[in-house]
Amino acid sequence: MGRYRVAMDIGGTFTDVVTYDQESGTFAATKASTTPGNLSEGVLAGLGAVVDEPAGIDFLVHGTTQGLNAFLERRGVPVLLLGTAGVEDSYHIARGPRTRLYDLHYRKPEPLVPRRDVLGIGGRIAADGTELVPLDEDAVRSAARRVEGAVAIAFLFSYKNPAHELRAREILHEELGDDVTVSVSHEAAKEWREYERTSSAVVEAYTGPIVRRYLLDLEGRLADRGLRVPLHVMQSSGGVLTAESARRRPLQTLLSGPVGGAIACAELSRQTGRPHLIGVDMGGTSFDVSLIVDGEPDVSAEAQLEGLPMLMSVVNIHTVGAGGGSVAWAEAGGLRVGPRSAGARPGPACYGRGGTEPTVTDANLVLGRIDPEGFAGGQMTLDTEAASTAVDGLAEVFGMTTTAMAEGICDVANSKMAQAIRTITVSRGIEPRDSALVAFGGAGPMHAVFLARELGIAETVVPRFPGAFSAWGMLQTRIRQDWTEPYFFLDQDLNTSDMSARLTRMEADGLAALTHEGVSAEQRSATHAVDIRYAAQEYTLTVPLTSADEPNDEDFLANVAQRFADLHKSRYGHANLGAPIEFVALRTAAFGDLGRPEPQKWPAATSTEFPHAVREVIFDGEPRQAIVARRDDLFVGHTFTGPAVVVEDTATTVVPPGYSVSVDDIGSLVIRKDQNA
Amino acid sequence: MIDPVTVEIIRNALNAAADDMNATLIRSAYTPIIYECGDCVVALLDANHQVLGQSAGLPIFLGNLETCTLATEERFGREVWQPGDVWILNDSYLGGTHLNDVTIFGPVFVDGTLVGFTASRAHWIDVGSKDPGGSMDSISIFQEGLRLGPQKLVSGGVEERAVIDTIGTNVRFPYPTTGDMHAMMACIQMGERRLQEIVRRFGLDTLEAARDEIFHQTELLERAVIAKIPDGVYTAEGVLDNDGVDLDTPVPIRLRITVTGEEIDFDVTESADQTVGPVNCGVSQAVSALRVGYKLLVSPDLPGNGGSFRSMTTQVREGSVLGARSPAACQWYFSHLGLLIDMVARALAPALPGQVAGASHGDSMIILSSGTDPRVSRDFVSLEATVGGWGAWNGSDGESALINNVNGSLKDIPIEVHETRYPWRITEYRIRPDSGGAGRWRGGNGVIREYEAQTDMAVSLWFERSRQPAWGLFGGEDAVGPEVVINPGRPDERRILKINGMKIKKGDVVRCATGGGGGYGDPTERSADDVRADVLDRNITAETARSRYGIGSTAS
Repeated sequence: MGRYRVAMDIGGTFTDVVTYDQESGTFAATKASTTPGNLSEGVLAGLGAVVDEPAGIDFLVHGTTQGLNAFLERRGVPVLLLGTAGVEDSYHIARGPRTRLYDLHYRKPEPLVPRRDVLGIGGRIAADGTELVPLDEDAVRSAARRVEGAVAIAFLFSYKNPAHELRAREILHEELGDDVTVSVSHEAAKEWREYERTSSAVVEAYTGPIVRRYLLDLEGRLADRGLRVPLHVMQSSGGVLTAESARRRPLQTLLSGPVGGAIACAELSRQTGRPHLIGVDMGGTSFDVSLIVDGEPDVSAEAQLEGLPMLMSVVNIHTVGAGGGSVAWAEAGGLRVGPRSAGARPGPACYGRGGTEPTVTDANLVLGRIDPEGFAGGQMTLDTEAASTAVDGLAEVFGMTTTAMAEGICDVANSKMAQAIRTITVSRGIEPRDSALVAFGGAGPMHAVFLARELGIAETVVPRFPGAFSAWGMLQTRIRQDWTEPYFFLDQDLNTSDMSARLTRMEADGLAALTHEGVSAEQRSATHAVDIRYAAQEYTLTVPLTSADEPNDEDFLANVAQRFADLHKSRYGHANLGAPIEFVALRTAAFGDLGRPEPQKWPAATSTEFPHAVREVIFDGEPRQAIVARRDDLFVGHTFTGPAVVVEDTATTVVPPGYSVSVDDIGSLVIRKDQNA
Repeated sequence: MIDPVTVEIIRNALNAAADDMNATLIRSAYTPIIYECGDCVVALLDANHQVLGQSAGLPIFLGNLETCTLATEERFGREVWQPGDVWILNDSYLGGTHLNDVTIFGPVFVDGTLVGFTASRAHWIDVGSKDPGGSMDSISIFQEGLRLGPQKLVSGGVEERAVIDTIGTNVRFPYPTTGDMHAMMACIQMGERRLQEIVRRFGLDTLEAARDEIFHQTELLERAVIAKIPDGVYTAEGVLDNDGVDLDTPVPIRLRITVTGEEIDFDVTESADQTVGPVNCGVSQAVSALRVGYKLLVSPDLPGNGGSFRSMTTQVREGSVLGARSPAACQWYFSHLGLLIDMVARALAPALPGQVAGASHGDSMIILSSGTDPRVSRDFVSLEATVGGWGAWNGSDGESALINNVNGSLKDIPIEVHETRYPWRITEYRIRPDSGGAGRWRGGNGVIREYEAQTDMAVSLWFERSRQPAWGLFGGEDAVGPEVVINPGRPDERRILKINGMKIKKGDVVRCATGGGGGYGDPTERSADDVRADVLDRNITAETARSRYGIGSTAS
C-alpha cells in the first residue's frame, strides 16, 4: 500500500496540490504554475513537488479544466448534429426565451454547431416509445461523408426508445471506423426535453475528444513514472470517476472545477457537526457561493454554461461577482463597485500589469489588509504605490481621503456580496443566520467576517489551507456513478412492483459498473431517489427512497407523498398533501467508498502566547494597531481579538475590531463577535 | 450632505430587497405562469409612492405599481393606511392590465410612522371569466371575471376570511389561486421586513437623503441621453389587424414624440377609440409600455426607481384603446402594447440610429387547444405562445425564433413534453427561411410549428401583425407576417389568424407560421459572404439571395 493520497485542483493561474501522508497523518498543500499549453506538464510538476516517487501514491484525484477551457475558448471539435427530420431546428430555436428583458439587441447564447451542420434524419419514435417511421439508414450513411470531427445524435423520444440513435451510431462506425466520437443523446442525458438533451450531447461531442486525449496522455505519463493506481477525475456531481470511465462519459467532468470547494464544505460540516454552511470562495477574479443544507451540498439535475444547458447532476455553485478584481468607478456623482472586473489582465492596479482603475484588491492593500510581499503564496509582489494612486484618483472625484475611499470601496463590495448571498438563501428557503460562513480561496478570508456581520451570521470558519480547500475536498469524496430513467406515472396509475424491479435493475447495473472501476464488493453502495411533482407542475423535486425495495412497502405511496410534501414545503414554503402527484424519473447513484483521510488533529498550544507582529491597519476610518500572526503559529487554545490579520501562504484572514478568534481541534480559525465588545 | 459610500450601500440594499421579494414570490408561487414564466413584478415604494426598488419578470409591468397605492389613497384618504393591513386590487381601469393581473400591497410602518409600501403583481390563472383562463372574444369587462377595487385582504394582521372566501368562490381553481395569493402576501411581507431593516439601520432621515441622491443620479443619467436627441417631433403609426371580434376593421395606434432639451413627451391621443373586442388597456398600462420603449433606448441597464422617467411625460386619451373606460373589454390588453414598444424605436430611429432596431414579430402568437385526451380519458387544456423573429440593428442581424417582448423569458413547450401531455403530434418545428426582412443587417426569422391532431378537439388562435408585418429601418426591408393554415394542401384548406373555439377532427393539421423581424440598412450593402452563409445556414433561400441581394448561388 502506498503512503500518499494526493488531490490536484487545476485553476487558471495555479494548480493547487494537497497531499495526505497516511503514515504521519498530516496534510500538506503546495502550488504549482498551471501550464495552459499542456496541462499535463503542470500536473506532473505539481506532483513532483510533493511526492518523490509516484509509486508511493495510494490514491490520486484531480479536477480537470481541459474540457471547460475548450468550451470557453470555443476550441472544441467540429460537430455534425443529426436530429429528427422536421424538428431538427430545436437546437437553434433553443426554446426561445429572452433572458435580458430590456435588451433590444438580444442574441441567444452562441450555439456550438452552426445550422449548416445540422441534418434532419428521417425516422420517428412516438411519445410511448413505439416506432412510427423507420430510421432512414441511407440518410445516416450519406451524413457520414460530412463528418469532420465528432458527431452528436439526438432523436425525439430516444429516452423512451433509443433504437434509432443506437442504429445510427452503428452505421457511422461502420462507415468511419471506431475512432470517431459519436455522442448519442440518450446516453449523454437520459431525460425528456429534446433541446436540453440535444445540447448535452453536443457539448459532450464538442469537448469529449479533447478530454479523452488529455486523460490518455496523462495516464500514460503517470504510468511511465511508476504510478500504480488508477487516476481519478472529479465530476460535476461531486463524486469521482476513474479516468477510464471519464473517457467514456467526459461530460460529467466539465464543471468539476469549483465543485471541490462545496464537497470540502460538506466534509467540514460532517467533521465539525455544523449542519448548515454557506461556502464563500473568493479568488482574484471570482466570487462563488455554495450552500450546505443538513450536511449535504445543494445538487441540481441541470446545469448551464454560457447559457447552453446540460442535463446532468451538478453541485450548485452560484457565481455572484468579480471578487477582488471588481472595479470601483464613478457614475452621475455616485460610487459604483463592479460588476465590471479588471480580470487577471490588466488586473488590479497593484498587479503592475498596466491596470490603472482601483479595484477591491487595491483598496484592501491601501488599508493594510493584504501583505504586499505574501500575496499568492509569495509568488507575486504587489505595488502598494500603484494601488494608492488608483484609489486616490477616485477619492478626488468624491472629495474623500484615500483611506476613506479605500474603506468605502470595501464596504460597498462587502454589502453587495452579502446581499447576493442573502438572495440565494431566500430562493432556497434558508435563513442565513442559521448557517455558519466558511471562507476559502485566496481572498475569501479577507472579506468573510464583514459578510457575516452584514448577514447576522454568528460564526465564520477559515479552514486549514483556505487557498487549496477545493483540492482538500477532492480527497474526501467517493466514486459516484449516476443512472437515470424517465418514469412517467400519476400516483393513481403507478405499478409499485414494476418501479421496484426497475430500481433493482439500475442498482445492479450501477454496482456492476463500480466493479469495473475496481471497487470491491464491500465498498459498494447505492442510493435511490425518484423525481416527483404535483400533477400540473413542470419542475420536479428529487425525493430520496430508502432502498430499491421500498416501493413494495404497503404504505409506500403515502410515505413518499409525505416525504415529497415535506421537501416541497422546505423548498417552496408550501405543500399540498393529498393532491395528485406525478412520478417523472428514477435515479440511482452507485458509490464506491475510497476511504477518507482521518481528520488531522491540530496540536494544542503549549502556552497562551504566540509569536506575532503589530502593524497599522485601517478600520472604521482609524489606523489601528493590529496583531499580525502567522497561521502556522496558531494552535488549539490560542485566542485573540481583532483588529488582527492572519497570514499564510495561500490566503490572508482579516479580523475587524470587536471579533475574537479561536482555533478548533482540526486547526480551523473560528471567528465570533466578541462578547465583551 | 450624505457620503457616497452610504448612498451606494443603500441603493444596493433597496435593489436587493426587491430581488428578495421576487425570490420569495417565485419560490412560493403555486402556478407555473408565475414561477416559470415570471408573469409578475414587485416593488418597494416610499411613503410618497415613489419607487425605491423593483424587480420585474415581464417588461410590460415596468413601473406602474404605484398607481395602486395612489388610487387607494385618493379614494380613502391618507389615514386609511394602518399597520398590519394588506390590500388587493385588479381593476383594469386602475391597474391598467387585464383582471388576471392581481396586485397585492400594504403599508410599511416603523415605530408608528408610515415609511413606505410594498407591492406585488402576478398573473392569476383564472379570475372567473366566461371561458376558463380568459376569453379571446369578450366584449365587456363583465365577461372577464371578478373585479376588485382597492379592497382590504388583511386588517391589523388578521385575514378577512369573508373576502378571501368570496374570491375563492369566484375563480375556477381556488386551490392554486389562494396559494398564489398567499405567496404574494409572503412576498410583500419580505419587502416590509427588508425596508424596516434598512430604516432601522440607517435612520429614516439618512434613507430619505440617500433616496434623493439616488433619484438624482438616475435622473442625471437619463437626461444626459435625452439631451443628445435633437429637439423635434418624431412620429410613428402602427396598426393591429383587428380587435378580435370585428375581424375586418384595423385598430390604428399613433405615437407622437416631442423632444425639447432634456424633456421628452409621448402622445398617443390620436390612437383609435376603445374597441368592442378585448384589446383595450387602462391609462397606466399605456404609460408602462411607453416607459419600456423609452427604457430600451435610454436606460436599458439602470434599475428603475423614482428618479426614472422624470424627464418623460405622457399624453393618453380617456376613451381610447390605450385609455379604456368601463365597460371596455381588456383581456388581450397587451397586443397593442408590444406594438407601441416597437413604435417608440421606429419614431426615434432618425435620432438614435445606433440604438434602435427593426420591428419584431410583435405578439404572443397564441394557440390554445382543449378536449379529452383519449389515451388517459382526461380533459386537457394547452396554451402556447409561439416564438418569432426580432429586428436587426446597426451591427447585427436580428435574432430568430425568440419570444415576444411582452412575454419576457417564457420558453416554448418541448415537443416531448407536449406530445406526452396533449393529444397532438408536432410534425414540424423549424426556423422559417426568408421570413425576416432583408437588409445590410438581416431581420431574424420566425418559425413554422405544425401540429397534427390525434383526436377531435377545439382550437383557439390569436395571431397578430399580418396587416403590418415587422418593418425595416434605413432601407432594411419589412418582414413576412404570420400565417396559420388549417389542413394545408387538402381540399378543405383554409387560412385564419384569430378564432375562438374552432372544432377540428382527428388527423387535421394546424400549420402555424410566425413572422420575422425587420431588416436594417440597404440589402445591396450586405456582404456576399454573409449572404452565402445565410443560404448555407438556411436562413434565406438561394432565390432570395438572388432577388433581394443580387448574389448568385455558391459553388458548394
